[in-house]
Amino acid sequence: MGAAVAWWTVAAVLLQVAGLSLFLYGFFPVKPTLHGFSGAESYRMPSCGPVNAVEQEPALPPNQLRSLYREVSGIPPVYDRLVLMVIDGLPAEFVLGRGGNPPSKEMMESMPYTQSLLAGCKATGYHSKAAPPTVTMPRLKAMVSGAIGGFLDVAFNFNTQAFLEDNLLDQLHMIGHKLVMLGDETWIKLFPTLFARQDGVSSFYVRDTTEVDFNVSRHLDFELVAKDWSVLVLHYLGLDHVGHIGGRRSVLMTQKMKEMDDVIRRVHDVSLQDNLERTLLVVVSDHGMTEGGNHGGSSYEETDSLALFIGHSVQRPHCSPYDQNEALQVDLAPTLALLFGVPIPKNNIGVLLPELFNSLTDDQKLRTLELNSWQILRLLQAQIPAFCLEECINSEDSLGIDIHPEYIEKKICHFLSKAFASHQSSRLQQSSDFKSAEALYVGTAVDNYYGFLRYASEWLSHRATDKPFYLLISATLLMTLSCLFLMGTVSSLFKGQSLSQAYHQSESHLDQRWHLDEVFILIGIFLYVISLCSSSFVEEEQYTWNFLTSTLYLIFLIKTVQSMLKGSNSTLVRRVEGKSFDANNFSYATNYELTPGKRDGYRLCTVLIVLIAGRVIRAWHQGGINWVHFPDISKSLAQADFSIVKSLQTISVLAVMTLYSVSLKLLRAKSKVVIGVWWSHISCGLLVLLHIWENQINTSLPINHNTTSIAKLFYAIASVSISSTVLASPWIFPIYSMEAKPASSDSNPVKDIDSRGIRNSVFLTGITYIMFWCLLQLLLQQPINAIPLLLIFLQTFSSIAHFSLDKTLHKQWVQVIAMQFLGMAGHFGLGNTNSLASIDVAGAFIGVSSYSTVLSGILMFIITYGSPLMLYLGMLVYISVKDSDDISTQRQLKLSYIVDKMVTLPCLLPLLINSVALTSYTTVLLLMRNHLFVWSVFSPKYLYVCAATVCTYVGVSIIAMTAVYTGAVFSFRTR
Amino acid sequence: MPAQVTQISAVTAAAAHVLCLAGLAAAHALAGRGALVSNPALALRLLVVCEAPVVIAVFSYLRRDRKSCSFIKAAARGLIGLPVGALLNAFGAIVLGAPVGIKYWTVTIYWSLLMSLFTFVPAACVFGASKIDWQNVLSHSMYVLDFYFTPTDADNYIISVPCHGAVLGAWLGAWPMPLDWERPWQEWPICVTYGAVAGYLVGMAVSLVLIAVHKRRVRAKSD
Repeated sequence: MGAAVAWWTVAAVLLQVAGLSLFLYGFFPVKPTLHGFSGAESYRMPSCGPVNAVEQEPALPPNQLRSLYREVSGIPPVYDRLVLMVIDGLPAEFVLGRGGNPPSKEMMESMPYTQSLLAGCKATGYHSKAAPPTVTMPRLKAMVSGAIGGFLDVAFNFNTQAFLEDNLLDQLHMIGHKLVMLGDETWIKLFPTLFARQDGVSSFYVRDTTEVDFNVSRHLDFELVAKDWSVLVLHYLGLDHVGHIGGRRSVLMTQKMKEMDDVIRRVHDVSLQDNLERTLLVVVSDHGMTEGGNHGGSSYEETDSLALFIGHSVQRPHCSPYDQNEALQVDLAPTLALLFGVPIPKNNIGVLLPELFNSLTDDQKLRTLELNSWQILRLLQAQIPAFCLEECINSEDSLGIDIHPEYIEKKICHFLSKAFASHQSSRLQQSSDFKSAEALYVGTAVDNYYGFLRYASEWLSHRATDKPFYLLISATLLMTLSCLFLMGTVSSLFKGQSLSQAYHQSESHLDQRWHLDEVFILIGIFLYVISLCSSSFVEEEQYTWNFLTSTLYLIFLIKTVQSMLKGSNSTLVRRVEGKSFDANNFSYATNYELTPGKRDGYRLCTVLIVLIAGRVIRAWHQGGINWVHFPDISKSLAQADFSIVKSLQTISVLAVMTLYSVSLKLLRAKSKVVIGVWWSHISCGLLVLLHIWENQINTSLPINHNTTSIAKLFYAIASVSISSTVLASPWIFPIYSMEAKPASSDSNPVKDIDSRGIRNSVFLTGITYIMFWCLLQLLLQQPINAIPLLLIFLQTFSSIAHFSLDKTLHKQWVQVIAMQFLGMAGHFGLGNTNSLASIDVAGAFIGVSSYSTVLSGILMFIITYGSPLMLYLGMLVYISVKDSDDISTQRQLKLSYIVDKMVTLPCLLPLLINSVALTSYTTVLLLMRNHLFVWSVFSPKYLYVCAATVCTYVGVSIIAMTAVYTGAVFSFRTR
Repeated sequence: MPAQVTQISAVTAAAAHVLCLAGLAAAHALAGRGALVSNPALALRLLVVCEAPVVIAVFSYLRRDRKSCSFIKAAARGLIGLPVGALLNAFGAIVLGAPVGIKYWTVTIYWSLLMSLFTFVPAACVFGASKIDWQNVLSHSMYVLDFYFTPTDADNYIISVPCHGAVLGAWLGAWPMPLDWERPWQEWPICVTYGAVAGYLVGMAVSLVLIAVHKRRVRAKSD
């Protein structure tokens, strides 16, 4: 049966991996992007050759580059100075109204100056649609680069936040513009070296609505008279904070808008003083907000952001300012690039806004459209490899005009060739005298260009966000199938078990009934799955796990009390217990002679330890998203003296070292290997202590060679001693024990002795794993997490001791799942949340001297999943001390059978639970793919679910491989 | 004593439940609508003050060991059981995540006294120090499915089922607390109290139904 179970499990896991990778591929498309920056070649028509064959141009000094661009583009820059004013979270509706109607009277009155500009046709405004996720950083990137980044771009960009793609600001910088930035420090994170002067304000204190903006405006007096800059970025956060506190209709909103209006007036006044009118004032918002003031999703209210242009080129005699002028947020990038005479950023999918170019001649206007089309064509060529313009135009001539082309290439071809042809004919027409004819040709060419540009832009943006529905469905089905496989395997296992129990006429006939803890686990998992559908519960998952785990252990507590009452009542039970107590040779407490009363006391204590430690862990980090600012122990410790944290760390390390010595003592093995491992553990502990002491309060110097070498030494010693223990431990324990066992005369002594040897060796391996793991965690985790780690460790050991003290109280599967619950509760107890922001990046570079994504990624995984992996390693200790009845009553000595009995459930159940969570969450994500919070809440959680799957695979394979190796060695030795 | 056990008739059980319900209703009338949300400490205090004498009196009257134990003695057991049960309930709540800040102490104390009245005090009054009875009632709680779907002693129902209802209701009542609806009733212990009271009421109704079903079955068997 063992082999069949193993094969089914492997098949299920493979199916799961296949389904998961398909789903990831479908849900998070990674679009091909072009690297490098656009240069002078962007003013030439793209050739048909391979895209990457770009001749390297020599880097020119800024002035020469500027004149080169001016020369090859054929369009003089319309403006010299740019003021980009970003008002965080301002919905376009507040300024431009909605659906062709002007905004409410209150809104009109709160921005008098801006409204007067709009009414006087001196400004033009757009409802610029922002792409989800509507949060600041991706939106700023979209504005300056014109590209819509995929979700994974954000997620995997943990090591550097600097923006490396082609973008407008870098282009402006390259031709010699001097940049100044005041406001949200996100800009500084994106462009750390670009600004000549900068003052970043943090958006951390959302409750503050005045200081953040005052900190920006206080520089205005100086900057507005300064003549040295040519690009000024202002980013006001206050309005977003007002929204977060009070929603759209907050009483503070009109006041804040008046303040913003005042800033616009001041900037515009100064730009008017400049007689040449070479300054363009652009007022944009990065995203809108919902009625409640939140953002992140894809509703109209959140994506409706503003793009308002104030400058000479938009002035016109007549206008209707409240028309619903639609644009995309990405359109800002090509528009500004062409207005300032720089190449359009390479990955731009935006289309230039026509009203900004009113001051140009018709010919120049067509030229801007042509440049925009060439740039988008280059991007298309990267996406459709075989696409070629010349072939396309040639084939178009031969085929004639196909109105309903089926293929995307043909459709693009059709639009493109039409646009270029009409541009050509308008050029030819220029020499003619008929002005009306010329205007007609220009009009056609403009229309054709926009036809192409809008189509291509839409297609490209869908490529970045569209999800192939059927692929996702089939991926989910694969995962469901794998989940069913696992369920079937587990249920067949249980069936087999109950049959064998009936065969053995086990004394525990009570086990046929459903206990409260078993019912609770099923209900708890069901409730957890249901809770995943709610974004709040996903955000605050730490409550769910703590609640479920504590409830489970409270039920254990009641059960223990009940069995104590029962034990003192019926003598029969005591005899049974006493028998199993004799039969049980190896466990922590039973190494000493324990009276039943004492056993009960220990059993009660272990559960109480788990419960109380769980509560302390819960209080350590507030966690979650919504109430993360509430006080907790870690925050008060962070404010306290650093020496307290340090002493807590020291205590934890010493406790782990002591516990290891005690448990090795309990093993009563005097082998050289054991002593060697013990010494290496002590030295590792000392190294961790040294590392803690070396790390001064001043963590601004992360690269300290001393600490790096200490950590490296630690890695070396730990890996050597763990691998030697794993390899050696099956060899050192005797197969035949010296001690005779008087109590179990009815069972064959040889088998018992055998199982003891294998047990001891698994115990040694497991305890070594978990102790070194603890030290590693103490080394890598933030200093504040030392005590929670120790508590999780205590919980693990208390649970194991509790389970080993009475083996009939809970069924084995309940015990395994209880340990897994503990692992999840501990995962959140270490301060992890379902947002990517809580990943501890700092720890991922401990002991890594040169930058390596793989190494830091592994370390980051170890830090984030420290607690679940600790419980998986603890599972090895647990299987070494658990009930041995099945094994000792087995007639023939078969080690494969023993191994089978040992590891099947501890391996299968975590896989099953994880599979249930993964499958149900995948289904949730599929259903929620158009939900408001799909990018801000559900997708980050999905990455965590994937990582948890990997964590389960790692844990389970460690358990399985250790047990199989040990079993193999023992069977070899008995032969 | 099975003979004694079956002495609790359906009418007695119904009367006991109606009295307990009357205590709750009186507290509700005194506190007024929505008092639990606007002033939880006051409302909980009223609930405890109104419910405590009723519960202790009713279940002392229903005490199991009538011959050896007077009504007064049973009531005294109930009075002792009240703080003990409150401690157990408070421990459970705090372990499950109830806040421990100073400003929550009063409400936590009142809440756990109320939960003690729902759960521990009836059993303390009825069973006293009888280990077998306690063990029985706990093992019933452990084998929930068997308890509800296979017949057992009728008067275990009158104690256990409302108690299970209150605990389950309180447990379920805690679920909305992490949601970001920002409603005042999401505060500890308001929604938990609502859940507990609702569960208690449902438990009383279910226990009556179970007792009636049980009596009918016993009668059918004896026929």
